[in-house]
Amino acid sequence: MSAEALTALWLSVRVAVVATAANAVIGIPLAYLLARRRFAGRGLLDLLVTLPLVLPPTVTGYYLIVLLGRRGWLGAPLYALTGWSVAFTWWAAVVAATVMAMPLIVRTARAAIESVNPAYEKAAFTLGRSEWRTALEVTLPLARKGLLAGLVLAFARALGEFGATLMLAGNIPGRTQTVPLAIYTAAQTGETGEALWLVVMLTALSGAVLVAANRLGGRAP
Amino acid sequence: MNGRTLLDTAAGVDLPPQARRLGYVFQGYALFPHLSVADNLAFGLRGRPRAERQARVREVIARLGLGGLADRYPRELSGGQQQRVALGRALAPDPELVLLDEPLSALDAPLRRQLRDDLGAILSDWGKTAVLVTHDLAEAYQLASTVVVYANGRAIQSAPRTELLWQPASEAVARVMGIRNILRGSVVKATADGIQFRWRGQLLEGANSPTRSYLPEPGSALAFYIRPEYVRLIRKDRGGPDAQHHTNLMSATVVREADAGTVWTLYLRLDEPGPPAQGDYDLEVEVPKLVYEILEIPRDRSWQISIHRGSIQVLPSA
Repeated sequence: MSAEALTALWLSVRVAVVATAANAVIGIPLAYLLARRRFAGRGLLDLLVTLPLVLPPTVTGYYLIVLLGRRGWLGAPLYALTGWSVAFTWWAAVVAATVMAMPLIVRTARAAIESVNPAYEKAAFTLGRSEWRTALEVTLPLARKGLLAGLVLAFARALGEFGATLMLAGNIPGRTQTVPLAIYTAAQTGETGEALWLVVMLTALSGAVLVAANRLGGRAP
Repeated sequence: MNGRTLLDTAAGVDLPPQARRLGYVFQGYALFPHLSVADNLAFGLRGRPRAERQARVREVIARLGLGGLADRYPRELSGGQQQRVALGRALAPDPELVLLDEPLSALDAPLRRQLRDDLGAILSDWGKTAVLVTHDLAEAYQLASTVVVYANGRAIQSAPRTELLWQPASEAVARVMGIRNILRGSVVKATADGIQFRWRGQLLEGANSPTRSYLPEPGSALAFYIRPEYVRLIRKDRGGPDAQHHTNLMSATVVREADAGTVWTLYLRLDEPGPPAQGDYDLEVEVPKLVYEILEIPRDRSWQISIHRGSIQVLPSA
């Protein structure tokens, strides 16, 4: 087991944690909007969020380069302004993992929110709660199992992200080389022992996350 | 709406529910399943000082007889306890009006009756106005002082409960209320005191409504009803009918009967040619079981009947 492998493991965990936090902050409100509101562009938003689930990760990664690369639609102005570009930094791995995992949290959370009986929300309205407070105090707590399940799926997905990460963040050992990229590199260069060790570690980590999630999800009420 | 609608939503129609200051008890209660009884009761008290909230929750728990249940969750409560928590949650913020949407419709009969009595006691103890929506006329009558009858989205009568029960404003109201023996005759003579009309070859007379004098033209159609428990069977062992006591005299035969437990329902057909008014019978008559036995109705099927003029209720059309 090399220091490089440990670095990759630590990077993967950091990327997955930050990407999952980002998905909780962005994905759950999106899921709420899609579940409870009718607005112009709702279908388009749904489509955009879901696309990474069906597109090849390299295609999603390419779009991210077009959007965020040093000469991208958002990346160029950012670079001109600050001299910094997200591409080929560990933040690029976070962005790629967030976008790739978002369909999982949004779809799971949306189904969970839709299954909450609207009568509870109406009851909260008659007791003086705004829609925002009702979502925080009633809807989301009642949907929490689904939200948790969605976050776990998103975390596992972020941990295993490969294609889009490779496109936007590259495969720089010690900087953007996450475990899946390190496994690819090790396998390509014939370091089978290193590859096996990383494969076992990633499998164990993902398995532990799923077991923990099942324990949490099964707890009453 | 005949200008007598009681709930005026015109002023509040655009207000969001948060601003209406209405307590609302939902069908099925909609208690928050993730909150304890105390948290459910305190839900409408947000923004008030903590001490006030706690005092208010304690007061509601005491008044609604929910002592010892503060830390339970809704699923751990009986139907009656859930109803009281739902009522308490709506009443805790002290709304100006509480609305109840079919609060008893999901329950089975014995529990329903008990909870109806509980509900009445709690609402009158609270002393606030309550509007209760129900399909059950008995429930409306027992809980309400004023009843508004709706049909097809329109209020068709609004009246004190006794007036509604004894003087429905129209045939439509009488039908919604499930009144039996709603019949149609033709007017002979109408005065402020009474209406003479013809029905099934009989000349009958009913009292006019004391609150709304109804004067239809002679020859026009007239709807009226006769409550089944107000038809008198004339005993044969006490001499013949006597014009002083027996008005609206008719002869009839029992064609069918039904045992409803403590009362019997008799289906009577007038001894007149022509098709009966209600399928195979003209009048439904209800007699207590004791009377049924004393009169030996199973043996004796032919009867003279009389109906007091005050027991024929005229139903104004339109």
